Amino acid sequence: MLQVENLIAGYGKVQVLQSISLNVAKGQLVTLIGSNGAGKTTTLRAISGMITPESGTIMLGGDNIAGLSTHQITRRGMAHSPEGRRVFPTLTVADNLELGAFPRLTGARPRGEVKADIERMIALFPRLGERRQQLAGTLSGGEQQMLAMARALMLQPEVLLLDEPSMGLAPRLVEEVFSTIARLKREKITMLLVEQFAAAALDVADYGYVLENGRISVHGPAAELKASPAVRAAYLGAAH
Amino acid sequence: MFEYLLSQLVSPVFWQLIASGVAVGMIYGVIAFGYQLTFATSKTLNFGQGEALMLGALVGLTVAPYTSYWLMLPVVAAFGLLQGSVVERLGVRQAIKIKSEAGWIMATIALGIIFKNLAENIWGRDDLKFPPPISEKPLSFHGVNVLPMELVIVAGAIIMMLLIELFNRRSIYGKAVVATSNDRDAAGLMGINTGLVITFSYALSSLTAAIAGVLVAPVTLTGATMGSALGLKAFAVAIIGGLSSGFGVVVGGLILGITETLTGYYFSTGYKDVPGLLLLLAVLSIKPSGLFGKSAIKKV
Ligand SMILES: Nc1ncnc2c1ncn2[C@@H]1O[C@H](COP(=O)(O)OP(=O)(O)OP(=O)(O)O)[C@@H](O)[C@H]1O
Ligand SMILES: [Mg+2]
Repeated sequence: MLQVENLIAGYGKVQVLQSISLNVAKGQLVTLIGSNGAGKTTTLRAISGMITPESGTIMLGGDNIAGLSTHQITRRGMAHSPEGRRVFPTLTVADNLELGAFPRLTGARPRGEVKADIERMIALFPRLGERRQQLAGTLSGGEQQMLAMARALMLQPEVLLLDEPSMGLAPRLVEEVFSTIARLKREKITMLLVEQFAAAALDVADYGYVLENGRISVHGPAAELKASPAVRAAYLGAAH
Repeated sequence: MFEYLLSQLVSPVFWQLIASGVAVGMIYGVIAFGYQLTFATSKTLNFGQGEALMLGALVGLTVAPYTSYWLMLPVVAAFGLLQGSVVERLGVRQAIKIKSEAGWIMATIALGIIFKNLAENIWGRDDLKFPPPISEKPLSFHGVNVLPMELVIVAGAIIMMLLIELFNRRSIYGKAVVATSNDRDAAGLMGINTGLVITFSYALSSLTAAIAGVLVAPVTLTGATMGSALGLKAFAVAIIGGLSSGFGVVVGGLILGITETLTGYYFSTGYKDVPGLLLLLAVLSIKPSGLFGKSAIKKV
């Protein structure tokens, strides 16, 4: 579904990603782990067009989307729940969810049942239901995170990029986020998950990539990575 | 002294001045509302907003004889949309892309001057009389005389701003505009073409100015220079009200409009701009974000 090949990207003259290749098959949950500053967020930003890649190809369902602008990439079915949540603070929870379906509402993607999907999101994240008419800026961090995920799902995406959905959450909420991700996986949603909780991410994922200083150092089936002594020593020690 | 003030409060003249102050103030408010529309989406504004008003009035004056004042409004609106888009494309887009602060300021001022010269060449340098669409006979409310056109100005301005507010709150495209104002990158992730949203906010901003132009034209004189002072005063209003608050700019407009008319009558027309400017200076030194604003002004 999503194939990234020899992706080079960065910020201005600073090159962060040094030729990344990764593959997310349809219906799979792939995780990208690595230490702070390794380039995980940069990878997702390059994929969704928030930064323009210097070179490389990004294939989404057969088309190269490298170099397209963010809104064009979204309209081709790439949803991105960005680092830091980035909900729209002066709009209500309901409006935030509706905007997630913007391409569907404006004819760029199959419309389907937007209203029913909002109800489905609220069933998935019941906390949002009680806060429907509340401004997103007044939600707690955990609630905003759920809103950001729900908003991305409203696209009915081909691929969902999740950047640290557990960041800054209380342990109980982290568990909740992971069980939601497991549920989305059962629903066959194609996902690329960036996580600081490497062990938990590898538990739920099918396949994993380890990013080190802008390069993929190891990759393999999630269970194998989890068993690998090198990965355990570097990434699973503290988080487990 | 006190008795004098009291006697003024019950005099019809005082209330008549308030009424014209409100009408003028609404125009300032509408133009400032336009500044705020583009500032919200792009943190830039069109310093040629006064010229957008002037062009609207002159285009309206040209079109009106062929139809009627009321049928001319949609034509002026369409012209405003077009003119605003041109300003954004030529003067602002590139500056936003390279994050140049001076770029859009210079470019919108320059475009404003070009529009003024253009208007002088097309419509001449003399002020023209805009035929009033409704009776010029004042209506009397308990001895207070109000021009019917003043009521049209106030109603027109309020309707226009309410429609825009309604659009922003209710329609998915309006919500896309608000989303772009909140967080441009995140709006892009929703599939919103934020560049187009910014063009649209410029178009809408010029539309409001152009309509404001045909609203004031019948009570003032119409000509190439009519917009300059209005644009500048509305800018002061935008600063007083706060560039982040649509409500604030209307209140700011009313404050300026009323102080001006009162000063003009009770002191001297020569001093009529002074209180408003003093107020501007006071706001800038005490609450630089504007009376109703968050912290927007530091960016200008
Ligand atoms: N906007 C930016 N401008 C310049 N450099 C940046 C910018 N954002 C990130 N970087 C740099 O790019 C590198 C990779 O950052 P990135 O955010 O991709 O890391 P990450 O793997 O997501 O880290 P974390 O786990 O802390 O989120 C870092 O060295 C960072 O300093
Ligand atoms: Mg990151």
